[in-house]
Amino acid sequence: MRLEYTLAGLCAGLLLSLNALAAELPQRWVSAGGAATEWVVALGGEQRLVGVDTTSQHPASLAALPSVGYQRQLSAEGVLTLTPDLLLGTEEMGPPPVLRQLQNAGVRIEQLSAASDLAALEDNLQRLGELLGEPQRAQAALDDYRQRLGHLQQQISAIQAHTEAPGVLLLIGQGGGNPLVAGRGTLADWLLDQAGARNLAAHEGYKTLSSEALAALDADWLVVTDRQLRGTEMQQALLAQNPALAHSRVVREGHLLTLDPTLLTGGLGPRLPATLEQLAQTFYPDLQPLSADARR
Amino acid sequence: MNPALVPRWLFVALAALLLLAIWLSLALGPVNLPLTDTLRVLFGMLGLGSPDAPQAELIIGQIRLPRTLLGLMVGAVLALTGVAMQGLFRNPLADPGLIGVASGAALGAALVIVGVARWVTLPVSIEPYVLSAAAFAGGLLVTALVYRLGRRNGQTQVATMLLAGVALTALAGAVIGLMTYLADDATLRALTFWNLGSLNGASYARLWPLLLVALGVALWLPRRADALNAMLLGESEARHLGFEVERIKRELILCTALGVGAAVAAAGLIGFVGLVVPHLMRLLVGPDHRLLLPASALAGGALLLFADLAARLLVAPAEMPIGIVTALIGAPFFLYLLIRSRS
Repeated sequence: MRLEYTLAGLCAGLLLSLNALAAELPQRWVSAGGAATEWVVALGGEQRLVGVDTTSQHPASLAALPSVGYQRQLSAEGVLTLTPDLLLGTEEMGPPPVLRQLQNAGVRIEQLSAASDLAALEDNLQRLGELLGEPQRAQAALDDYRQRLGHLQQQISAIQAHTEAPGVLLLIGQGGGNPLVAGRGTLADWLLDQAGARNLAAHEGYKTLSSEALAALDADWLVVTDRQLRGTEMQQALLAQNPALAHSRVVREGHLLTLDPTLLTGGLGPRLPATLEQLAQTFYPDLQPLSADARR
Repeated sequence: MNPALVPRWLFVALAALLLLAIWLSLALGPVNLPLTDTLRVLFGMLGLGSPDAPQAELIIGQIRLPRTLLGLMVGAVLALTGVAMQGLFRNPLADPGLIGVASGAALGAALVIVGVARWVTLPVSIEPYVLSAAAFAGGLLVTALVYRLGRRNGQTQVATMLLAGVALTALAGAVIGLMTYLADDATLRALTFWNLGSLNGASYARLWPLLLVALGVALWLPRRADALNAMLLGESEARHLGFEVERIKRELILCTALGVGAAVAAAGLIGFVGLVVPHLMRLLVGPDHRLLLPASALAGGALLLFADLAARLLVAPAEMPIGIVTALIGAPFFLYLLIRSRS
């Protein structure tokens, strides 16, 4: 009898402390930064989001949330109308005086890293896991991420021992306008490298290249991301802008790929491994990505 | 009707409009505060009673009040210097940007925004201050250069200065273009937003320098009203009337460079206020600078506060750059003036 009471008391105590723990976690989140928001959703925190910025466009269900504007131009009072407990973003979030005002108003500010490397991702996921009260889930996501990228690297280096890496250019289309070419130090460059491609662009950052320079680089593949156009429309727009490409190898062989532009905002997001596997399989048809079963 | 009565009533109306703008700017915002809380906080600030509404106190005291003060000063300074420039160039189409101060400030800002992203690392917390300082310095430097180029044999040639201003604005534009080319995606957006101006993130720490400059300009320019009136007749006429024309010109340019430089440093480029407000006030009070200067200062402050209200309420919880709002109000109004004066 007494044992039962003790047990019941213990259970009640445990429940209470769990409740207390849950109460300490921030419940209302505003998230500013594409990849950060995607991670919140991927780790099961979507119902906590009460507002997002304009770079948070994936998944599409986020469009229903109030927009707090561009991540670098937040408005203190605007964010406060959503009465958030937490403002999540990256170091790109600002302006700093607004962040200070929000902090004074009792909003917790958490800035993740937008750097495109796995160490930054590890820190980000650990922090998010704690904030969401889901440390195991975050750890599992990180392990899975590591495993997939690691496996992909192994396969790629095995293939590259006897095959040359394809030369690739990643173009950011602007609704058919002159595209920007991704150079060194960009997330797109990291993406190409991880997918086993050689980025042919040698400049830093994103630059427009002339039609001639584009054709002269004689890429094996073109990866194009465009906010508006897809497939053949995108190809037509690109050729209209760059007629020199019409007779290039890339177009003759139909080696044009499209990429979702929301993949490239705010650091390493949860959808990147799948994208990398797809790209790598396109570049190296006999490559076998890790199946979902093998990952468990 | 007694003509002296018209301005008096007009000034009462302008002051009432300004008070209304200040009241609305403090009372309205994306966060809905009960009227009683707003009143309590305002009375508390004046030392009457304790506010006892922490949320409202924070929002009004730390966010809306500095923003309102910033808007008031920027609006008043832009309008005052607009009057000064239209008087100096004897051209109602002149705006404070004509002597290169705005493009110089934009150049300074662009160098910092892109430079910080590419070459130098600054602690994030001091970056806004460095940006403001660079914009201010850039504005003063380019204006000084325009002034030097406009001088010949100890005389300032207003026409030469105008052309030098155009040329240096183009040159600054080229360097800004180069910075735009070097910028990455994020810095590009920062540049664009800066060029559209914003009162967002106003804090007392950034207000004080502007307050000092604005007070200086607001006190100094009205003392030169008589000289500006005389300049309307022409430079030699003003000289014959006993005004030291060269000194007046120097003072007007210095006031404009300091005032616009400080305003742009604090809030970015906000167009049309310096052009439209003096114009509108001239229609109401006539060309006498003794009335035109104070009327423009009041109206400039009120206009900017109303524009800022629109900027922060229209797309809440996000916010629109205020330059878009002033241009949306200013440009059609300017066209209206043009069409009206033709008929």
